[in-house]
Amino acid sequence: MRLLLVEDDAMIGAGIRMGLRQEDFVVDWVQDGRAAELALASETYAAVLLDLGLPRKDGFAVLEDLRRRKNRVPVLIITARDAIADRVRGLNEGADDYLVKPFDLDELAARIRAVLRRQAGRAEPRVTFGELTLDPSAHTVTHRGREVPVSAREFALLEALMHRPGVALSRAKLEERIYGWGEEVASNSVEVHIHNLRKKLGNGTIRTVRGVGYVIANNGDAPCQSAGSSS
Amino acid sequence: MSIRRKLLLALLSALLLIGLAASGATWFAVHKAANDVFDYQLQQMALSLRDQTMQNQVELFPGFDYDFIVQVWDPAGSLVYLSNQSIVLPERGKGFETVPVNGKDWRVFTLSQADKTIQVAAPINLRRDRAVSMALRILIPIMAAIPLFALLTFLIVGEGLKPLGEIAAAIRRRAPNSLEPLPAAKLPEEVRPMVSELNGLLERLREAIETQKRFTADAAHELRSPLTALQMQTQLVERARSQGELRDALEQLKAGARRASRLVEQMLTMARLAPEATLQEPAALDLERLAASVVAEFGPLAEAKAIDLRLGRVEPARAIGQEQALHTLAGNLVDNAIRYTLPGGRVVVEIWSDEGGAVLDVKDTGPGIPAEERQRVFDRFYRLPGSGVEGSGLGLAIVKQIADAHGAKITLGETEKDQGLKVTVRFAKVPASA
Repeated sequence: MRLLLVEDDAMIGAGIRMGLRQEDFVVDWVQDGRAAELALASETYAAVLLDLGLPRKDGFAVLEDLRRRKNRVPVLIITARDAIADRVRGLNEGADDYLVKPFDLDELAARIRAVLRRQAGRAEPRVTFGELTLDPSAHTVTHRGREVPVSAREFALLEALMHRPGVALSRAKLEERIYGWGEEVASNSVEVHIHNLRKKLGNGTIRTVRGVGYVIANNGDAPCQSAGSSS
Repeated sequence: MSIRRKLLLALLSALLLIGLAASGATWFAVHKAANDVFDYQLQQMALSLRDQTMQNQVELFPGFDYDFIVQVWDPAGSLVYLSNQSIVLPERGKGFETVPVNGKDWRVFTLSQADKTIQVAAPINLRRDRAVSMALRILIPIMAAIPLFALLTFLIVGEGLKPLGEIAAAIRRRAPNSLEPLPAAKLPEEVRPMVSELNGLLERLREAIETQKRFTADAAHELRSPLTALQMQTQLVERARSQGELRDALEQLKAGARRASRLVEQMLTMARLAPEATLQEPAALDLERLAASVVAEFGPLAEAKAIDLRLGRVEPARAIGQEQALHTLAGNLVDNAIRYTLPGGRVVVEIWSDEGGAVLDVKDTGPGIPAEERQRVFDRFYRLPGSGVEGSGLGLAIVKQIADAHGAKITLGETEKDQGLKVTVRFAKVPASA
């Protein structure tokens, strides 16, 4: 899951990024409101962590503009402003959650997951599709009742595919979801991860939709079907 | 001593004095007038007896006990007539005399004629008594009025002092932490200056408290960031899964602790400088020495960052101030310069003076401060947006406060090559006597 972190304090930003990476989130970090808008315009994020007191453009203004453009990306406000009025305003302007500094990294990760879950319309913490179950907080993948060890990237890739099952994602989209800025992406890395996942979960779990990309399949053992039936 | 008692005493004493003086004056005046009148009577009486022959003792005015006596002598010197047997006045010259007879003073008028000498006399105390009774007639009502006057004074003074009591009551009624001004609208002219001074004091106090409150609120808010960072950094240490991660996390934790302690240190400096703080023990200081010691102090820090920190132009320069505060001022400027200058850069401290006074320059090769930000950077907790440098946001605020307390002027500018920041602190000229 790729997140945008908007935080002007260098230490806090570095800390959050490191902590969330340990939770296998992909984090892009910007330090002011304008940069946040640029990033939001050019990339797709699963969620935004937004500080309020930002240079160049205030967090509230960023949020307001985001919602005015009908961008529905989940936004968690992370701020030192603890006044009730600020919390109410943040939530009313379209934030999905409001976290007051100082906060616990575990709590932050849990809240991000909760927001992502709500966004996907799920109440259940685990994502299940067919015989495949993902536990985002424990980072475990269960296939046919058996836990399958996967790397952080492989997990992120599966998570992206299972976010909206049946919708095919291009290689570029997948790369975007699992790599943050400045991360070295080998030209065939997505293929490599897909290959590894197929080895672990069975060939049919992830199907290739020719000319489009990849889609998660209902039955890992079913033979590859044509692109037409995948939506 | 209360105003009321003081006024009462003063007024009553004045009244008493006036009464006594008036009585005294009356006594003198009456005494004088009585003398004239009695003397005239004696003379008239003597003249009226002039043509009468008084060969025998005749009852002049029978059945009446006279206050005065009449004696007539013949030219041979024997007493022809005596109105009162018990008192015999000696025959004397002429005109008015005061003569003691039988232990009593008598006023005597002697009229000498060829055929007889007539003497008419009256006791002196008669006229004295008259004067005294006249004087008492003045004094007694005044004395009698004293208690009434005292009561009235007491009441009037009390009424006059009422506004003071009302102010006291107004102060008493206030909430202990209320700094609202006292109502001054209906106060008498004499009390108004006092109340307006008091209100001025309250206002200054309120401002000072307001400033402190704002500072405390800002400070609490500012402490949140380093504490958030620290909390996160400790958690990252806890979570570290490898030696490498642990080392990174510990490094960050150390930096976080340094930042927090620096912020607290700067806050303490700021609090010590508090708005009202005046210069303690100002003295004429050699700024060259001060600049040299600051450069020496920050040498290791500059070296660690590969920044060339050095003294530039150094000339004798003196300013009046407090050494510790000026050291903090110069130190903060140098610290800032090192912070914002990239490795390989240079920070130069210069000290010199001209006819205007001493000048301290700190120049760096950092990014400088855009002209539109140059006022705001002196605000407490303001950080240059996007500078990416971890500062307390107090450094320049402290510099400004110290400069203000010293009457020194700070200007932010560019260095000669239009690159980097040049901070100029211009001190007031030291008078020749100092």
